[in-house]
Amino acid sequence: MALLARNICKALSQATQKNTVRALHVGTIRQQESSVEQEGKLKCTLIPGDGVGPELVVAVQNVFKAADVPVEFEPYFLSEVNPTLSAPLDQVSNSIARNRVCLKGILATPDHSMTGELQTLNMKLRKSLDLYSNVVHVKSLPGIRSRHQNVDCVIIREQTEGEYSALEHESVKGVVECLKIVTATKSQRIAKFAFDYAVKNNRKKVTCVHKANIMKLGDGLFLKSCQEIAKMYPRVTFETMIVDNCTMQMVSNPHQFDVMVMPNLYGNIVDNLASGLVGGAGVVAGASYSAECVVFEPGARHTYSEAVGKNVANPTAMLLCAVKLLNHANLKRYGEQIREALNRVLNDGKVLTKDLGGQSSTTEFTAAVINSLR
Amino acid sequence: MAARSVLRYLKLRPVVFQSHRCASLSGFDIQHKTPTIKKVMPIPKAHYGGRHTVTMLPGAGIGPELMGYVKEVFKYAGVPVDFEDVEIDPNADDNVDLDYAITSIRRNGVALKGNIETRSTEAGVLSRNVALRNELDLYVNVLHCVSYPGVNSRQKNIDIVIVRQNTEGEYSMLEHESVYGVIESMKVITNFNSERVARYAFEYAKRNGRKKVTTVHKANIMKLSDGLFLEISRRVAKDYPDIIHNDMIIDNCCMQLVSNPHQFDVVLTTNLYGAIVSNVVCGLLGGAGLLAGKNYGDHYTIFEPGTRNTGTSIAGKNIANPIAMLNAAVDMLRHLGHKHHAIVIQNAINKTINQGVHTRDLGGTATSRDVVDNILKHIKIATA
Repeated sequence: MALLARNICKALSQATQKNTVRALHVGTIRQQESSVEQEGKLKCTLIPGDGVGPELVVAVQNVFKAADVPVEFEPYFLSEVNPTLSAPLDQVSNSIARNRVCLKGILATPDHSMTGELQTLNMKLRKSLDLYSNVVHVKSLPGIRSRHQNVDCVIIREQTEGEYSALEHESVKGVVECLKIVTATKSQRIAKFAFDYAVKNNRKKVTCVHKANIMKLGDGLFLKSCQEIAKMYPRVTFETMIVDNCTMQMVSNPHQFDVMVMPNLYGNIVDNLASGLVGGAGVVAGASYSAECVVFEPGARHTYSEAVGKNVANPTAMLLCAVKLLNHANLKRYGEQIREALNRVLNDGKVLTKDLGGQSSTTEFTAAVINSLR
Repeated sequence: MAARSVLRYLKLRPVVFQSHRCASLSGFDIQHKTPTIKKVMPIPKAHYGGRHTVTMLPGAGIGPELMGYVKEVFKYAGVPVDFEDVEIDPNADDNVDLDYAITSIRRNGVALKGNIETRSTEAGVLSRNVALRNELDLYVNVLHCVSYPGVNSRQKNIDIVIVRQNTEGEYSMLEHESVYGVIESMKVITNFNSERVARYAFEYAKRNGRKKVTTVHKANIMKLSDGLFLEISRRVAKDYPDIIHNDMIIDNCCMQLVSNPHQFDVVLTTNLYGAIVSNVVCGLLGGAGLLAGKNYGDHYTIFEPGTRNTGTSIAGKNIANPIAMLNAAVDMLRHLGHKHHAIVIQNAINKTINQGVHTRDLGGTATSRDVVDNILKHIKIATA
């Protein structure tokens, strides 16, 4: 009797399993069909982020609509400070892995971890997609008055290890150890990325920024890896600089820099410093690369949460991210169209947001960009 | 300097010891450090955000114009591949450009190449094509010869894969005059390289569902050298019981190829015989302008047109056949994993040929431009 009951149960469970399998199968086929239909349109994951992110994303979407750009966004709300509204991380990372491109706002990171977890959501996203390289192109924009003119340098940052490894512990009470991990593989990988970037974009010099005089083993390994890779690029000049000197040189004479490659934390600091030189967090675009996908996000990571709902944030950085996205995805025509419109608005200087010394709102600025699209 | 020009005038160069002026590698090194397998630092390939960077060596003759067409087609089809152009000056008397090209391939992993000319007659400057293959240890050359139904050729429905040893044999460049009037040229066959290439041929046959491998040799005359090659291919064949293995002497093979090519499936040969056999088969299918070859090593890959001709006489006349180079580019896309783009471009090429848009070498009247425009048109239809 027991045997019979077990058999019936087994049969039933198999039946239900079969049904679910079939249902799943149909689902995937449908998905494939729909992706074939929309062949001409580029799918792009969209993460608005925290703070003013959603407002800036709306600006980008409006400009895309006005320019008739063939991009279809797949929006996901991802947030660490708002966990109840946030989409699950694996869903978001699967979407990025599928679409290969993503436009992302900034995710706020609280100073204190509520759950005791050390890894932030940002770091988890980077880890899950292996977005190892962050590229920030710091370039003076026309019409923006800043401390230095004609700055043009590229800051490349390793962002999966180093100080951001989330390995901290209190070994004895009152003594905290924070581990900084440097590996040869990842250092060589980022160095090669920097040199390949230099070759591809016709740049002449790569500067390795480090602190190997103090951290002789950790940063020493990073420096050594860069030197090894540099041997393979005889036509690109290679220089090294200690990070403290580098920050000083950056504010006094930024024109000496071309492509810069550095470990995680130094990259974060230098990114923000360089962004300050050319007009602040609202005007610098960046991108994170893995082998397969790219996430475009503003270069200096600030959520600007005090301006939420005030309609004062500057959408320039986000628009530049979108331009880079279009250029990357073989939609250069649209990318250049938007870049030119943006440059026209900045050059005129009549419609500027507060951070650039103007009086206009986000929506007015966006409208001005749309009006000067040609 | 003066001394050198005097020497040049007296034409004593072959006898005078040539000091190698190349910075990192002498010509001798490039030729003879191989055929031992090279330890290389495992560096990541240039593949970022879904885009690949590939070294492009346009070479001489029609190379630059064909590369222009490849770039145009890639741009039009939206292929996520960027090219790093490396020019090699054919007149240079040193190997600086060549070294740079080799370094560039080392860091990108993949190259698309036209035929490179070597005009310099200095003893230290060797054929750049051979130097590239030897230095990067590209030990196997694969030429997949398939008939196009739309091409009016001598034989129809041919489907032969030629696997050729690419780094040793007659191309070892070891020649000397032992006594006045007597030249010795060495042909080097090694156990190690023969086994690698034989293993490649059988593995290729197994993975691509091929039935037969034919080893082409001349072991009845060169009993030791070609004998070794044959013996090793027989030994490797024992590991693949599902695949038929037979052997054929090169002279007979050439005759069989022109009279009954359908008996061949995969052809495994040494270096020089491979050059001959591939040119014979290309001739059967419609000339030098159609087929694309692949050079594989353990770490690097070079794609190039199947028959290695520069076509200097037709350069700049808008009559060169762009199909071979485009086929090489499609092979490259497959290798890089951009399957979708490879299929789109491949279909466009096939349709263009089979509709009869042919350049002069295939008996048509179209210019190179017409052929490329036709391909672009088909790509547009496929992606719209």
